[in-house]
Amino acid sequence: MRRYVIKRLAQAVGVLWAAYTVSFLVLDFLPGDPVTAMAGAGMDSGQVDPAQLAALRHEYGFDKPVLVQYAEYLGRAVRGDFGDAVSSGRPVTSVIGDALPQTLQLTGAALLLAVVLGGGLAMVATYTSRRWLRQLLLSLPPLGVSVPTFWVGLLLVETFSFRLHWFPAFGNDGLRGLVLPALTLAVPTGAQVAQVLAKSLLTALDQAYVETARAKGAGRRRVHLRHALRNASLPALTVVGLLVGQLIAGSVVVETVFSRDGLGRVTAAAVTAQDIPLVQGVVVFGALIFVATNLIVDLVYPLLDPRIVVASDRRASFA
Amino acid sequence: MTALPVLRPSRWAPLAALLTTSVLLTACGSGDGGSGGGSGRPKSGGTLTFAVGSDAGCVDPQQVGSNDTIYSVRQTVDSLTDQDPATGRIVPWLAKSWDINSDATRFTFHLRSGVTFSDGSALTAQVVKDNFDAVPKLGALGTLAEGYLSGVQSTTVVDPLTVKVTFKQPNTQFLQATSTHTLGIESSASVRKTPQQKCSDGIVGSGPFVLKQYVQNQSITLAKRTGYAWGSALWSKKGEAYLDKLVFKVVPEAGVRAGSLQSGQVDAISSVGKANEVALKGGQVALQRRANPGVVFGLGLNNARPLLKDARVRQAIQVAVDRSQIADTVFPTGTRPATSVLAHTTPDYSDLSSDLSTDTAKAKSLLDQAGWQAGGDGIRTKDGKRLSLTITWFPNSATNQPALELVQQQLKAVGIDVVLKQLQVTQFATTLQSGDFDVVWGNVTRSDPDILRSSFSTRLGNFYHLPASSLDTALSGQAAATDTAKRGKLVAEAQRLLVQNAYYVPVVELQTQLGVSKKVHDLAFDSGSRVQLHDTWIG
Amino acid sequence: MSQSLVDGTDDTDETADAADAAETALGLARPPVAGPASGPGRRADVRRVLRFLVRRPGLLLSVAVVVLVVLASFRPDLFTSQDPLKGVPSRNFRGPSGGHWFGTDELGRDVFSRVVHGAQLSLKATLIAVLVAFVVGGLLGVVAGFVGRWVDDVLMRFVDVLLSIPALFLSLALVTALGYGTVKVAVAVGIASVASFARVARAEVLRVRQAVFVEASRSCGARWYSVLGRHVLPNAAGPVVVLATLDFGSSILAVSALSFLGYGAPPPAPEWGTLISDGRNYLANAWWLTALPGLAIAATVLATNRIARALDGEWSRQR
Repeated sequence: MRRYVIKRLAQAVGVLWAAYTVSFLVLDFLPGDPVTAMAGAGMDSGQVDPAQLAALRHEYGFDKPVLVQYAEYLGRAVRGDFGDAVSSGRPVTSVIGDALPQTLQLTGAALLLAVVLGGGLAMVATYTSRRWLRQLLLSLPPLGVSVPTFWVGLLLVETFSFRLHWFPAFGNDGLRGLVLPALTLAVPTGAQVAQVLAKSLLTALDQAYVETARAKGAGRRRVHLRHALRNASLPALTVVGLLVGQLIAGSVVVETVFSRDGLGRVTAAAVTAQDIPLVQGVVVFGALIFVATNLIVDLVYPLLDPRIVVASDRRASFA
Repeated sequence: MTALPVLRPSRWAPLAALLTTSVLLTACGSGDGGSGGGSGRPKSGGTLTFAVGSDAGCVDPQQVGSNDTIYSVRQTVDSLTDQDPATGRIVPWLAKSWDINSDATRFTFHLRSGVTFSDGSALTAQVVKDNFDAVPKLGALGTLAEGYLSGVQSTTVVDPLTVKVTFKQPNTQFLQATSTHTLGIESSASVRKTPQQKCSDGIVGSGPFVLKQYVQNQSITLAKRTGYAWGSALWSKKGEAYLDKLVFKVVPEAGVRAGSLQSGQVDAISSVGKANEVALKGGQVALQRRANPGVVFGLGLNNARPLLKDARVRQAIQVAVDRSQIADTVFPTGTRPATSVLAHTTPDYSDLSSDLSTDTAKAKSLLDQAGWQAGGDGIRTKDGKRLSLTITWFPNSATNQPALELVQQQLKAVGIDVVLKQLQVTQFATTLQSGDFDVVWGNVTRSDPDILRSSFSTRLGNFYHLPASSLDTALSGQAAATDTAKRGKLVAEAQRLLVQNAYYVPVVELQTQLGVSKKVHDLAFDSGSRVQLHDTWIG
Repeated sequence: MSQSLVDGTDDTDETADAADAAETALGLARPPVAGPASGPGRRADVRRVLRFLVRRPGLLLSVAVVVLVVLASFRPDLFTSQDPLKGVPSRNFRGPSGGHWFGTDELGRDVFSRVVHGAQLSLKATLIAVLVAFVVGGLLGVVAGFVGRWVDDVLMRFVDVLLSIPALFLSLALVTALGYGTVKVAVAVGIASVASFARVARAEVLRVRQAVFVEASRSCGARWYSVLGRHVLPNAAGPVVVLATLDFGSSILAVSALSFLGYGAPPPAPEWGTLISDGRNYLANAWWLTALPGLAIAATVLATNRIARALDGEWSRQR
C-alpha cells in the first residue's frame, strides 16, 4: 500500500512539472514577444522606449539563454512563486488565491447539482420499466452535452432574472446568486455523469452477481441500489478528475456570462490583457486541480475495491 | 474615450475679464422626470449598487480618465474648489477662498481648517504642495493632471493653511482645474507612493466615502466616511453622506445592466444606449441625461501614417461618414451629430456643419484624385496597396462597437477597408503614447476650449502626430489670450483649421445617459457629467 | 465543455435499445470497427444505408441538419439573399417575422443571414480544429504505437500531461500566445484535443499490429512501411474517424465559446459565438439576438453527435 501511495504521488508531481513545462513552452516561446506585450498592457509603461524594453527583458530574464530562464522560473515556481501579474502588479498566487473561493463555491455547487441531477437521471432511467420514460430521460444527456453553456446561461438570465425576477442576473450575492450560474455549469457535467453512470449501471445489471442477487430473492429496488449502483459508481469515480478540471475551466465562460467575480473572469481578463505570468499560473493551477483530484480518487479507490492495488499499472496512464 | 474632467470658464469675479463668460450646460432630465426630485424626506443609511460597464484598472482619481471608474473614485477625494453644473460658477470646497493676480499667473488658496484624511492626517498647505509637486511626475495615466499644471513654476506654503501656485505664463484654466477629480487632494502618504501603487492599492483622500475594496475588473466598494464635515458649498446636506455604502459592479454587457436595473438587482447603471431606452422607460426606472462638452467622439487619425499623411484621404473619410445615421441609430435620444471638433456645449464652439455634411461623391472623387483606384473587391488600391485602416477602440461604452460598425460600413461604401481592433480600457493611455495606431476612437470631456490645445498642439503630447502649422499658433494664442473676444476668434480659427485639414474626424457628441431606480433620490450630475453621491439617498 | 467524455446516447429512435448504450463506456475503449467497405456489394450497401436511416428518424434529421449547415457554408446565397454585413439602420431591433426569420440586430442587419454566413466561419474553424487534432494526435499515436519502446513512453507521458490541463485552459494559453482570429482560435482548440486522438490512434495501432494478418505479412518479410501503410493504418483508422466526428461537435462548442469570449474574428464577422456575445448587450430588449444563433449551434452539435454515435455503435452492429 505504501509503495502504491508513493508511486501515485511521484506520478502526480511528474505531471505537474510537465504541465508547467508545457505552459512555459507555449507562453514564453511561441511567436510574439512577451516583453512587448507586457509593456503594452502594463499601466506604468507609457513610453515604450527600447531602453525600458531592455530593462524589462532583463528584469524578467528574457535576455538569458532559454534553458537558464526555464531553470530559474521552475526554481521559483517550485517555491510557489509564479511572478507578478502584469496588469495589477500583484503576485500571481495571491491573485488566484483571492479569486478562488468564489469559483470553488460555484464549481462545488455545480458538481453537487451535476451528480444529483445526472446521477438521479441515470438511476430513474435504468430503473423504470416504462419504455417512453426511459427513452425520454436517456435523450436528455446528449442534449446537455450539445448546447453551448454560454447560451444556456443567457437563456436562464433572460427567463429567470429579467422576466420572472426570481434570481439575480449577475454577481456573487449569496445563495440566490449562485443558483443560475451553478445550474448553467452543471448542465454539461451533469449530462456526462448521467451518460457514464447509465452505461455502467446497465452493464452492472447484466452481470452475473446481479442475477445471483435476484435469484436469491432480493427486491428490484434493492438490487438496483445496493448491487448495481455500488459497482457502477466505481467506473464513474474515475472520471471525476476530468469533470472537476472541466468545471474549473467552464467557470471562465459561466463567470463571464453572469459577471461573477472569480478565477474564470480573472482568467478571461488575463488572456485579453496578454498577462502571461497570470495565464501560466492559471494553467498550472488547472493541472494541479486535475492531478490532485485524481490522486484523491486513486487513493480512495483501493479502499472501495481492493483489487485495484494489484492492477494499478493498468490505470497508470490515467495519471 | 470619455476621459477627462470638465473645465468650464468661471464667472468668479477676478477672472471675469479673462474668461469667456458663457455658461452653457444644462442638465436635461428625461421625460420620466428623473430621480432628482426630492419626494419624501431624505433619510440616512442603505447601500447604493451601481453597475458600470468597465474598469480602468486604477483607483487613483488623479490618474483615472474613464467615466465608469471616475463615478466611484471621485467620491473618495475632495478638491480645492467645486463647480456649479448649472451656472459654471466656481465655489469653495477644501479652499474656503482664493485670490488670483491680475494676469492669472499666481493663485493663492486659503484652506479650510479641521479637514482630515481618512488616515487621520490633517489637510495642510504642505499636503496641497506635495500633491501639486507630485502630479507632473505621474507618467502615462497622469497626462491630464500634468496638463492642468503645465507651466507651473512653484507651489509654496505661505502658512499652514495658505498655499500659493505660481505659473510661468498666464493660466486662465487653472482655477477651474482645481475643481476636478484629477486635482483631487490626496494625503501626503499617498502622494509618496508610486503611480502604480496608487492605482492598484488606492489612495487616502478626505472625501465623503472611503475605498474599502477594489477587485480589478470586478468591483469597487466604498464606505461612508464618518465625521465628514467639509463638503462642497454646492451640496445640500451638511456633514456626512446619506448612504452607508456604495458598491460599483463591473457588468460589461449593457443588456445585463439594463435587465438588472429593471429587476431591481442594482439601483443605477451607467452608459445606457438607445437600444435599452425603450426597455427601461416606464416602470421603476428613470433615465438621466446630460450633454458632455469638450472634444466630440471621433476618429483620432494618426497623421504620421503614410496613408493618412495625404490630406485628401483624411478629407474623404471626413465627408464619407454619415453622422446623423450614427447618432440616430446607436446613441441616446437627443444625441447630436458632431458639427465641429468641439461639442456645441463648449464655450467658443463654432458651427462647421456645412463642412461636415455627408457627401460620398465628394469622398470618392477625393480618393480618385489621391490616386486610390477602385479595386475588384470594392476596396481601393494604389501601387498594389489596399486602402485599409485599423480603428483601435476600447470597450468603455456599449455604443462604441455599433457606432464603429456603422463607420466601417460607411467607409466601405467609398472603398476604404476598416479593421476594428478592440483593446482593454487600461491600454488607452499607452496606445496613444506609443503612437502604434492608425485611428483611435475616443473623446475628451472638458468644458474649456483649451482642450483643443491639449489634444492637438504639436508643442504638447501631440498623440495624433499633427505636423507643425499655423494651428499651433492659434492654440497657443488662445491659451495666453486675456481678452475674451480675441480668445474666441482664435478658438474658432483653430476649429476651422482642424476641420479643413481633417486632422481629426468628428463624428458624434457624447451625451451621458444613466438609468436610475426611482427609489434613488438626488443622484446628481456634477459639472463634468459624472455623479455626485454625497446628497444621494434611498427611500 | 469542449471535451465530451462519452459519445451520445440518443435513444429517441425506435430500434436502438438503451442497453446498447452500455457498450462503449468511455468512448476510448471501443470495440473494433471493420475496415471501410469496398468492392462488389455496393448496391446492397446503398440499400442497407437507406434502410438503416429510415428506421432512425432522429438520425435522418441529424444528417439533414448537417447537410444544410455544410451547404450554407459553401453556398450561403441558397438560403438568404440579404447582406449579412449591411442592413437598414432605421429598421433595427425588429423581432422575428416572415421578412426576417431571426429578426434584425442593432444595426438593422438580418440575423438569419448573419447566422447563415457565419456557418462558413464557424465551420471552417471547426474543420481546422478537427484536422489539427486528427493529424497531430493521429501522428503521435501511430508513431507511439508502431515504434513502441521508449518513444511510446515519452509520447504517451506527454499526452497524459496534455490531458491533465483542462482543454479550455490549454486553448486559452494558446490564444494568449498566438493572438486573436478565427484560424488561431481553431488551432488552439485543435491542439487541446490532440491528446484523445493520440490515445485512440495508439490503441488501435497496437491492436491491429498484433492481429494475425499483420503478423503474417511481417513474417513474409514485408517492409515496415508497407505493413504500416497497407495493413495497420487502414484498419486502425475506423475508431479515429469516429472520434473525429465526435470531436466535431465538441470543437464547434469550443470554437464558439472562444469567440463568445471575444477571441475570434473582429466585427463585423458573424461568427456564431460572436453573434451571441454581441447580442448580450441587447438581452433586455431583443431576445432573438442571443436565442436564435444559439439554437443553430445547438442543433448542429446535436446532429453531429448523433451521427457520430451512429457511426460508432449502431452501424457496425448492423453488419
